[in-house]
Formats: sequence, C-alpha cells, structure tokens
Amino acid sequence: MLAQSKTRLGLMLVTPALIFTVVCFLLPVAALLLGAFRTGGPDSLDGGPLQWSLARFADFFAEPLHLQVLWRTLRIAALVTLSSALLCYPAAQAIVRVAPRWRGLVLGMMILPLMVSPIARTYAWIVLFGRNGAVNVVLLQLGLSDEPQRLLFTEMAVFVGLLQLLLPLMLMSLVSAMENISADLALAASTLGANAWQVFTRVTLPLTQEGLIVGGTLVFTGSVTAYVTPALLGGPKVLMLETLLYQKVSVESDFGTANVIAVILVAMTLAVNAGLKRIAAPRRTT
Amino acid sequence: MLNKVPFTRASAALVTAGLGLSLLSAPVHAEKRTLVLSAYPISQPLFNKLVYAPFKEKCGCEIVVETGNNADRIAKLDARRNNPVVDLVLLSDFGMLEAARKGLVQPLDYGQLKNYSQIYPFARNPIGGNYAVGYTIYSVGLVYRSDKTAAPKSWKDLWNPELKGRIALPDVSTTQGPLALQMADLAWGGKGGDYAAGMQKILSIKNNVVTFTKNSAQLSSLFAQDEIWVAPVARFTWSQLMKTGMPLKWAIPAEGQAAGMNVMGIVAKSRNADLAYQLMDFWLSKDVQTALAMELVDSPVNTQVVLPKDKAEFNTYGGEHIASLKFVKPEDLLRHRSGWLEQWNKGISK
Repeated sequence: MLAQSKTRLGLMLVTPALIFTVVCFLLPVAALLLGAFRTGGPDSLDGGPLQWSLARFADFFAEPLHLQVLWRTLRIAALVTLSSALLCYPAAQAIVRVAPRWRGLVLGMMILPLMVSPIARTYAWIVLFGRNGAVNVVLLQLGLSDEPQRLLFTEMAVFVGLLQLLLPLMLMSLVSAMENISADLALAASTLGANAWQVFTRVTLPLTQEGLIVGGTLVFTGSVTAYVTPALLGGPKVLMLETLLYQKVSVESDFGTANVIAVILVAMTLAVNAGLKRIAAPRRTT
Repeated sequence: MLNKVPFTRASAALVTAGLGLSLLSAPVHAEKRTLVLSAYPISQPLFNKLVYAPFKEKCGCEIVVETGNNADRIAKLDARRNNPVVDLVLLSDFGMLEAARKGLVQPLDYGQLKNYSQIYPFARNPIGGNYAVGYTIYSVGLVYRSDKTAAPKSWKDLWNPELKGRIALPDVSTTQGPLALQMADLAWGGKGGDYAAGMQKILSIKNNVVTFTKNSAQLSSLFAQDEIWVAPVARFTWSQLMKTGMPLKWAIPAEGQAAGMNVMGIVAKSRNADLAYQLMDFWLSKDVQTALAMELVDSPVNTQVVLPKDKAEFNTYGGEHIASLKFVKPEDLLRHRSGWLEQWNKGISK
C-alpha cells in the first residue's frame, strides 16, 4: 500500500520532466536523426517519392575527404579524453586529500576556465599561439627554435584548446567519485602488500569507474561536438565533423548530409560510453 | 554578409522584440499596417535610425525585421512559401537568384521606383528576370602593411615567395571567397566561370597561407597581431582594420577589384507589396543612401550621392574605384559553388 502510493508519487513527480524531455528533446532529435535515412517524400529538398535507405551513409562514406575528417575528429577527441584522464587522476587524488575547507577553493580555481566564455578563452589561445605570442617567445628564448613556429591553425592548437576547455569536466567527475572512497581502502591495500600501481588499478580505478565513464563521455562528446575551438584555432585547414556539419547546413543547405553527420556524432558518443563501461567493468572487485 | 552569422540570440531577440511590439501595438493602432523585412543582422540599430524610423513616419506603418544569413533566411522563406510572412527581402545577388529560382520572389515593376534611374546600371536588374534591385555594393581589394612590403600591383603578388606565411585568403565558403577566387582566376589567365585556373593556383600556395578566414573579425586580429602583411579585404571592413593601428594601405591591383552586391526583392504572394515598393524606393533615394554611406553602414548605389574625402575612403565609392569593379556572375556562383567547396575542402584540409 505504502509502496504503491510512493510509486504513484514518484511517477507524478517525474512526469513534467518526462513530458518536457520527450516533447522538446527526444521527438525533435528522433525526427532529425530519421532524416538521415530518408530521401524524397513531402517537405524534402531532393524531391521524389519517400524512401528509407542507407543511401546517404553510403554517399557520405564513399568520399575520402569525409573519412579523413571523421578520422581526425576521432583521433583528436580520443587524445583529448585520454590526456584529460591522465592529467586529472593525480589532480583529483590530490584534491580529495586537501582539507575539506580548502577543497572548495582549489576545485573552484581548477574549474574557473568553465566560467569564461568559450569564445574569449579561444581568443586567448589565438594570442598565446601567435607568431609573437607567449609560446613562441618562450621557444625562441630557450633556443628550442630559430624562428617563430606556426602553432595556430594546426591540429595541435585544436587539441590544446579542447583539452583546456574540457579538462574541468573530467576533474569534477573524478573528484566526486573519489570523495566517496574511504582513504582507508588504499591504506588497507598497501598494508596487504600492494604497490602504488596495484592500489591504483585494483582499488582506485574500479571504485572510480563511474566517474571515469561520466567524465570520459562528457569530454569525448564535448570534443567531437565543439564548434568554436576547431573553427577558430584550426580553421579550414583542420576541418572536423562539426565544422563540416556547419558548412553543409549554412553554406550548402545540404541537410541530408548534415543529418548523416549528426547520426555519426550521436553514434560515436554512445559507442564511447559503452566502450568506457566495458573497459572499467572487468576490474570490478565485488 | 561576410560573417556566416547563425541565427544568434541577438537576432532572435530582435525578431521577438519586433513581433512583441507589433502584437502590443496591434490593438491600439488597429488600422496600422505592418511591413515585414528580412535582412542581415549587421548594423540593425543604424538601419533603424537611418531607414526604418523615418520610413515608418512617412508611411504611417510598422516595420518588423527578421534577421539571419542568406541560407537561413532563404530556408525560412521556402518553409512559408504558401503563406509568406516576409514582404521585402534583402539578400546577396546570388542568394536572390537562388530565391528567384525557387519561386520565392516576384518580378518587379521598376516603374514604381522613382529613384531607379539614379542608380548605377549594374545595380539595375542585376540578376535578370526583373527580380531584384541592387541597394549596396562593396569592393574586395588588397590591403597591405606599408612598412613591410611594397604595394601589390597585381593579384599575382600574393604568390610572391617573400610573402610565404604572411598572407590570408577568404575561405571559399564565405561570400568573399568566390570573389577573391575570381580575381586569382583573372590574374592567372583563367577562362570560363568555373575559375579552375584560380582554384588550382590558390591550392598550390595553401602552405603560404596562414589561414583561410571566415569573417572580418578574424582578419582584423590577424593584421593586429602581425600574423599577416597582405590579404584581400572587403571595403566595409576597412575602417575596422584601420583601428588596429597598423600601417595599412589599400591597393587596387592592375586586374581590378572583385565586387559584391546586395539586392532587394519582394516576396511572392506578399500582401504588402505596395509598401515594399515604397520602402525600396526610399532606400534607394539619395538622402537615405547618403546617410548610410556617411555612417559607413552601406556603400551607395545612387550616383547622386556625394561624399567627403574622409567618408569616401571607407566606402566603395568614386570614379576610379567603381571603374575597377569586377562582379562575379550570380549564375556562375550558384552553378559552381558546391564544386568549389568540394575542391577546396579536399585541397586545403590536409
């Protein structure tokens, strides 16, 4: 009886959010994604009878340029995700060991970049990576280079820009995951003879896998869907899926190909989420 | 026009505010008619001051403005083709040709425009079929750092090895991309509207080009940070570049300058075509064209406009300047743009 009324209350509470999500998000997204499989029919730009097929995907993948762009997008996103995990694990461990009253301050400072507009942040990189920018000045001063290097409008610039942009998301996910682990666990493992690497792989990693999955998915998704950073720091020489998508919609009015790219982006995100879950799962200790 | 401005929050707010105003005012001035204009988001406050406000007083009507780039706004016109909301639409010449081919605009009766005879011949019936009238033009010349390099005499000077890593070119996906491509083609003896010679030449120096720019703000910052010394620049960006404080000069190469034109058209099945004609005529008048030129909003097409030297410098204006203009044919652009984008993407994205 009590359980039933609890269920009913739960349903009532979740209904408004559910309606909102279905009407304002799921339905439009489904319509958008279905467009990638549809040619012809009413309201279509290409005319002809309505057909469902994978023709648009076949066309998309038949173009070597598209494969090149897809590969570049995947490569940069994977590198950003991996680098952010490598950088954030030690940082998160350090942060959870800071006394609670300072933790907020340290964390706040680490996530400060999230509070700056992405455009302003990206323009800062344009200045730093410029011919006369700070990075080139340091390279020249240290004698690492004889002349200013071309740093802007390269894949490296896009990588650094994205890493800075998305690092806080990984950090916050890992910190909140680690806050839930008792410090005694690592200590107990050490006492039982585990070295630091074993403690990390057998205790810390399995217990923070949820954080890694969430953080990894956020960072990867952020990397493949970022527009401003690749557009400003990479430019047309470093074409990525998102900048290609923009070009298809805004210049060519080619909504069919744009839909295909949208489907690929969603599929990539789901695949990475599943992949991260699989990587983390076998190490589960329980 | 150069900026591929998406349907921004600002423009959304503008439209919402406009619609809101018209809804609010509807019951009070039930007799007032409303003209809906579709325009570029750039400089809207100045257009309001110099064009809309005085026109509203004249016609006793309301004006609602919808803003966006070419592609966005053509898509919207298409979506509402049977029951149009917009009456008067401002597009690039090739954008209007695309709209005309889709049957979204109606042929004009130029006899209804008193000022039609005062505008440049190239602004009259610019896309054929009587579908449009030009209301502003802009040149694309070469801007250079006078302390670093000599004045470019030809578009071919962009291929000078001394300028390796010191030039920027507009991306072909922007409005100015095809314009610069045209001049490269002309300089390198290209024949035909596909600009194949120019394309091949530009791709051959892709490594000399710092980046292919997407908007004027990017161009300013490249000049300001000493990244580039020479670049094709649209005239309406010129005053903004001068603010960088760099010693920059404008050069008109031997082959001439590329030119672009924005045009007005009346939407098919518009219920306010009479008002649209009136606003068009007002827009082309010497007074409005002069006011817009003086504020550096749009260069004039009305030949009666006289500008002082300090304003002429930043407009596409004056005998020599106008004589140098080379327009890209809108039909060539529509026919070849997808091909250009494809070749460009393949050739430039390493």
